[in-house]
Amino acid sequence: MMAPFYKFGLFGEPASLIVAFVTGIGFGFFLERAGFGNARILAAQFYFRNLRVLKVMFTAIVTAMVGLYFLSRIGFVDLSLVYLVPTFLVPQVVGGIILGVGFVIGGYCPGTSCVAAATGRVDGMVYLLGMFAGLFGFAEAYPHLEGFAHSTAMGQITLPRLFDIPYGLVVFAVVVMALGAFVAAEWAETKFGDGSAAGGDSLLGGPWKLTPVRRFALVLGVLGLVAAVAGNPYRGSRVTMDTRELAIEAGRGADQVSSDQLADWIVQGTADFRLVDLRGEPKFAQYHIPSAQNVPLASLSPDFAARNEKIILYSGDGVQAAQAWFILKASGFSSVYLLRGGMEEWRRSILFPSEPKGATPAESIEFARRCAVSKFFGGTPQAGAGTRAPEQPKLAAPVLPTAPPPQPSAAPKPKPKREGC
Amino acid sequence: MNPYWAGFGLGLVLLAAFVVMGRGLGASGAFGSVTATVLGKVAPAHAAHNAFFARYLGDGSASPLKDWLVFEVLGVFVGGLISGALANRLHVTVEKGPRISAAGRLVLAFVGGALMMIGANFALGCTSGQALTGGALLNVGSWAFMMCVFGGAYAFAWFMRREWL
Repeated sequence: MMAPFYKFGLFGEPASLIVAFVTGIGFGFFLERAGFGNARILAAQFYFRNLRVLKVMFTAIVTAMVGLYFLSRIGFVDLSLVYLVPTFLVPQVVGGIILGVGFVIGGYCPGTSCVAAATGRVDGMVYLLGMFAGLFGFAEAYPHLEGFAHSTAMGQITLPRLFDIPYGLVVFAVVVMALGAFVAAEWAETKFGDGSAAGGDSLLGGPWKLTPVRRFALVLGVLGLVAAVAGNPYRGSRVTMDTRELAIEAGRGADQVSSDQLADWIVQGTADFRLVDLRGEPKFAQYHIPSAQNVPLASLSPDFAARNEKIILYSGDGVQAAQAWFILKASGFSSVYLLRGGMEEWRRSILFPSEPKGATPAESIEFARRCAVSKFFGGTPQAGAGTRAPEQPKLAAPVLPTAPPPQPSAAPKPKPKREGC
Repeated sequence: MNPYWAGFGLGLVLLAAFVVMGRGLGASGAFGSVTATVLGKVAPAHAAHNAFFARYLGDGSASPLKDWLVFEVLGVFVGGLISGALANRLHVTVEKGPRISAAGRLVLAFVGGALMMIGANFALGCTSGQALTGGALLNVGSWAFMMCVFGGAYAFAWFMRREWL
């Protein structure tokens, strides 16, 4: 089994909305349990009276971070498929400051205001109205703000990649920082606190014995230390595989796509797959199937595409494509297909179809259809003869059709996905 | 609830979202979807003309409400209600310090909500989608954002002391 489940197609979009609702219930439940349905508790953070916000937030961050690191490290989760909001540094710094000021003025953040409103807090409900007003204002001014909002783009980037530090080491550093912040927060509460944070299990207070919270902190510290030396959580090039499973799949032949099928998809503009040409660059430059991407076999690495993408491979005679199929399947790619017969079959049946001698009317109609397809891909049908010309027919150029022929139905455009907050 | 255990529970919910969906939690995005839907009904031409709302409305084939974040935020309301009911914390009241009137507090709540949403839209996320989610993913922008949220709030706290203390 491979995670993230949704990205490997274990369930579809309708089910994902149920998952969203259930996730939200868990989220709202723990926000309320943390006391965050109350603006006074949230605001107390900014006067050092009660530092619950810091404790809850960093415990959550560290828990999820350490958990995700180890689940990825053992190969259960493909970390590269977990969505990362792209970084736009300056707008995010400015947005953070505005949001922080709004936090201390309004007493809530978007998530906590929902919990406050749900538990009867009138200030939470008014805060929600304020959010709609702010959003409307932002949207109206958006044409003037868009340039700034998209400035200093750095793409999807993590701290380990930015500073070129091993991922596990950053995990460890964050754990140490969080534990240090907890100790400092508890100390600050004894100095400036209003007493509301006193009592209950904590790191500093009470008799010196291993309470559950201290045990939890110790476990986090140890896991962080292990992460520091346990290596890269992203999938590397070394793999283990179930050879029997691969053999069964290959033997069934369900992993193959015919030239006709592929041609149909391209003509209809179905773009839900990535077409990969494994031949060398010169041959690719000479001619390639429209929309194909050139990845010579020797340069194939498991990072060239996401593991949940649908990938169709082809090479000259299909041998190299078959080898690449094996590499990708072993690397955990879930849907990889071969173009049956490779480029040779594509030339024969799509680019240069020939009419059989003494064709029946049905065969003639079929041939006419093939001629249209052939012209679409820049080929020349071999009419009448029934015998193949001795030399390979000449190809004009690598053709990328600009205007597709009349289509039976408009290809459904995938809905643009927004995954951010 | 002990803050560390509440945080642990929150962290497990976040981790489950990573494993099941390949994405984290969020909140502010749902408000964009709702506003875009309402405006799309009230003033369709205006909404379609605005680049910000057009992004949510798409080509009109699917409702922006059929969105992951919208359903997740609905869940947040329900989850908050369940927890509040179980702990006997459901009260119609205004949370404020002793030195400010309820009306004054409500005006500030409105202003704070508006500012929050402006900031969240510059930052592509709020405390949930950026600080919490991006923090756990070691996202560069999220960490910069998180530091600035705390910085901005602490820097401005002195001016708001009459509201809370």
